[in-house]
Amino acid sequence: MPNVAHNFGLVLFNDEGERVGTAALNVDWEPAVECARFYSLRRGELPWADVGGAISILPLWDHSAGEPCCRGFRVAIARADQSPCVSDFRNEYFRRLAAQAAGRFVESGLLAKGEVFRYVVVALEVENDPAAAESSGLAVAERTPTLDLLESSLSAWQSQAKGVGFVDTDDMPLFCPQSVLDQVAEQTLAHRGKETGGVLIGRLHRDQSLPEIFAEVTAQIPAEHTRGDAVKLTFTAETWVAVNAAIKLRNRSEIYLGYWHSHPVFEWCKSRGCSLEKQSVCKLAKDFFSADDEALLRAVFPRGHSVALVANDTAFQGLSFSWFGWREGAVHPRGFYLKADNHAA
Amino acid sequence: MGKPETATGLSLTVSDVSGQKVFVVANAPEGGTVGELIEEMLGKMGLPPVDSGGRPLTYHARLEREGRHLHASERIGDALQTEDHLTLHPNIDAGRGA
Repeated sequence: MPNVAHNFGLVLFNDEGERVGTAALNVDWEPAVECARFYSLRRGELPWADVGGAISILPLWDHSAGEPCCRGFRVAIARADQSPCVSDFRNEYFRRLAAQAAGRFVESGLLAKGEVFRYVVVALEVENDPAAAESSGLAVAERTPTLDLLESSLSAWQSQAKGVGFVDTDDMPLFCPQSVLDQVAEQTLAHRGKETGGVLIGRLHRDQSLPEIFAEVTAQIPAEHTRGDAVKLTFTAETWVAVNAAIKLRNRSEIYLGYWHSHPVFEWCKSRGCSLEKQSVCKLAKDFFSADDEALLRAVFPRGHSVALVANDTAFQGLSFSWFGWREGAVHPRGFYLKADNHAA
Repeated sequence: MGKPETATGLSLTVSDVSGQKVFVVANAPEGGTVGELIEEMLGKMGLPPVDSGGRPLTYHARLEREGRHLHASERIGDALQTEDHLTLHPNIDAGRGA
């Protein structure tokens, strides 16, 4: 858990610039910490076989308004005999919490439904020691997990793959073979009308010359013991047991990279009676990652290298794929490299 | 003869589903329940206690030594031995949502 010496909150204003109210924030810092840690690992600033030192969250004061108004926050990861690794995050990190706070002000009548609002993030120093207040009787220490990192040439991999979608250089390069996408498509179509899914497994590679870390999806494990209908897919405790067993059985030093699931968009549209024209511009049809989808990624695949794949099953263009990954502490659509199936760089 | 234990509780290893977050607990209290241990470990491990709608997420602790999920009501001192490894498995939804 990071050390946070400030309480963060929001001041909300309506479209007229009038103050609506304030809200304390219960911030989930984990995605920011994971992104900061993985960014430093990719740059070779943190050793791979080390969970890193103490992590602190520090407010970044707004240049014009000054303290306690923030322009964002900084994640600082301590290192032995070196300055800490730092990553800065903008106030967009709090956007979802701001929307939730605005919803409460709408309920109490202080903000009109649909009214534009803006927010200012403030941070106030905690008077008491938060670590002491939260400490329990359990003595817990994080241990570095055993994750293999293969030494590889990124350019060699890129030379035998094709970029698909917007491949942002800020994102960890991701390689996936056509065979995995074919399996995802086959499983999606076999369960047409219901959500289905699986777990993406693979390996992490490092190109020390850059330095950079990249991921290779090697297989998808169909998720068993799930409960699926047209709008939901529940991964159960038994699902994870089965996936673990499959990874062990394969015995190829593969790790969890993320998960995939299908969106039977045509079924959703049918139940709403949407026309094909309307479906073709529907935001659910492509690059849609729901709050539930994000919560699953957050709960099970929080590491910075984790990714998610959605198979969009639409009536107007058949099946398409959308990839998602962590960026600046939030989940964003991302591109990937389609790898030739016989490539083994 | 009783189970081996430390002077102040059992020493355990607890990991998330992926095994990419691993934590060592030095003093799990024998009198506590598995459910209480899970609840406390979620915060320590940075795992979310609720889903996207604010509803509590259910995590099951799998005891790798016995290959079974423990009941939340089981007493730590009865079910676990020192150096046991637990994996926390959530029941969790993906999808558009109703």
